[in-house]
Amino acid sequence: MAKTTTLAEAVASIPSGTHVALSGFATARCAMAFAHEVIRQGIKGLTVSQCVGAMDADILVGAGAVERIVYGGGSRGRFGQHHCVNRGIEQGTLIAEEYSSLSIAFRYLAGSLGLPFIPIRTLRGSDILKRLQEVAPSDIGYVCDPFTGDDWLVLKPLLPDVAVVQVQTADEDGNAWILGARWVNEEQVKASKRAIVITERLVPTEVIRSDPERTVIPGFRVSHVVHLPFAAHPTAVYRVYDYDADHIRQYADDSKTPEGFQKYLDKYVYGAKDHWDYLELIGGMKHLTGLMADPVLGY
Amino acid sequence: MTANLEYTPFELMAVAGARELKDGEIVAVGLGLPVVATFLAKRTHAPNITILFELGVIDPEPVHTGIGLSDPRIWYRAKIMSNFVDMLGTVLHKGLVDVGFLGGLETDAYGNLNTTLLGDPKGKFRHFTGSGGGNDIASCARRTVIIIRHEARKLNEAVSFVTSPGYLRGGGDREAAGLQGEPSRVITDKAVFGFDPVSKRMRLESIHPGIALEDVLSNMAFQPIVPDDLPVTEPPTAEQVRLIREEIDPEGMYAE
Repeated sequence: MAKTTTLAEAVASIPSGTHVALSGFATARCAMAFAHEVIRQGIKGLTVSQCVGAMDADILVGAGAVERIVYGGGSRGRFGQHHCVNRGIEQGTLIAEEYSSLSIAFRYLAGSLGLPFIPIRTLRGSDILKRLQEVAPSDIGYVCDPFTGDDWLVLKPLLPDVAVVQVQTADEDGNAWILGARWVNEEQVKASKRAIVITERLVPTEVIRSDPERTVIPGFRVSHVVHLPFAAHPTAVYRVYDYDADHIRQYADDSKTPEGFQKYLDKYVYGAKDHWDYLELIGGMKHLTGLMADPVLGY
Repeated sequence: MTANLEYTPFELMAVAGARELKDGEIVAVGLGLPVVATFLAKRTHAPNITILFELGVIDPEPVHTGIGLSDPRIWYRAKIMSNFVDMLGTVLHKGLVDVGFLGGLETDAYGNLNTTLLGDPKGKFRHFTGSGGGNDIASCARRTVIIIRHEARKLNEAVSFVTSPGYLRGGGDREAAGLQGEPSRVITDKAVFGFDPVSKRMRLESIHPGIALEDVLSNMAFQPIVPDDLPVTEPPTAEQVRLIREEIDPEGMYAE
């Protein structure tokens, strides 16, 4: 069954208030084209989750599309802080449930396995846990290990409504390959009710069958497949294209203030009618060709 | 010796960090100085170290410096590319990581680290990075090595937010919280610290060449334990400096 569709249609399947798990990690494989379209369609009140804060979440938060973020903290490394997320937390306009990377990964893992809760050794003794007990008391608990009598901190599974995953290769059924490090993308997909796959390359199922060891997202979990090149720009897609350092620096500068961020949105999100328009706006084929990954290095 | 430094404070810290690693150990590494320290150890006394990046990368051999863990530059030539559950779950959470390197906004007399916020957590504050894998590493690694600039605002009696637990308020506090492992070293640009085995309060282990004790203490907001016999930190060798400058960080990017 073909699930291929346009980005606009895939995004339109997400009602306001949905819990969306996003595939980005800092400046890698962020669902940027998806985020832009969510903003253009005016979808609001989202819950967004990911193990490490990334640019897809930051731009959605900045644009006012997000009510609540459930994440493990994070920055853009040398490209600085996620200013929109941080501003939202500082000003209290964003509900933030802040964990560590592993505790978010375990919550997705529990969700993917259909477990009622998952014990974890981390978070204990920290102010992260104290704060979570205030802001998300129903997601934190304690149980006694029936075998040893030890007390365990346990976390509730994370069960997003939809996972949005930026991948390198998929077929029209959504069977997908993720090349390079995958952080928590498989668990996100498998914990969610359904997944939207945004792929750089759309291949015949015969290609997937030729190398099935690479398939980390099974098509039966996928509701929409969107074939869209450079859909993670300005972030990196391993073995396809590098991050756009100049563009990320510009975003980093612009997003330092709400006014600057609005200027960025007006130019690159509202100023483009769709992703193809955006690609022209940032410099078109000439600029994008310069970002193509070296086949040996992968960036 | 101090008049004509043949190495930078960064290089001295990287060498001190490398010294914490034993051959055959599994090391969880963040970006910056820990990368240099770990690759230095691997090229000298500890060739069989396993290097682990939290997002799913084992034993890369990068040829370009990266901007963060998400940069494919630092994944280059990895032996394994997998995921969080594999790295932080089956290795770290299971208790197999020997050493984790962490840095932060501030640390305190008991090695607790804050990477989350500065200011009043209940009132006006500035939010920064938060945990990432930091809390997980500090909770599970057998030894945690903290790398931090030696400034009074970064070395406080108590941090304003415990992102990654050290010995909490000292003594048996950490054990009581059910945490594995422990902070073992704090490396600054002026000195190396350990922790008192009983009180768990930070204790001076050595002072870097050319640095006076007053200089160390006056740039801290708390009083560490100062032993009577205080050695000088072993300076880098010419070969270590050469490896850092010519092979590990030729563009000087990690050194900032």
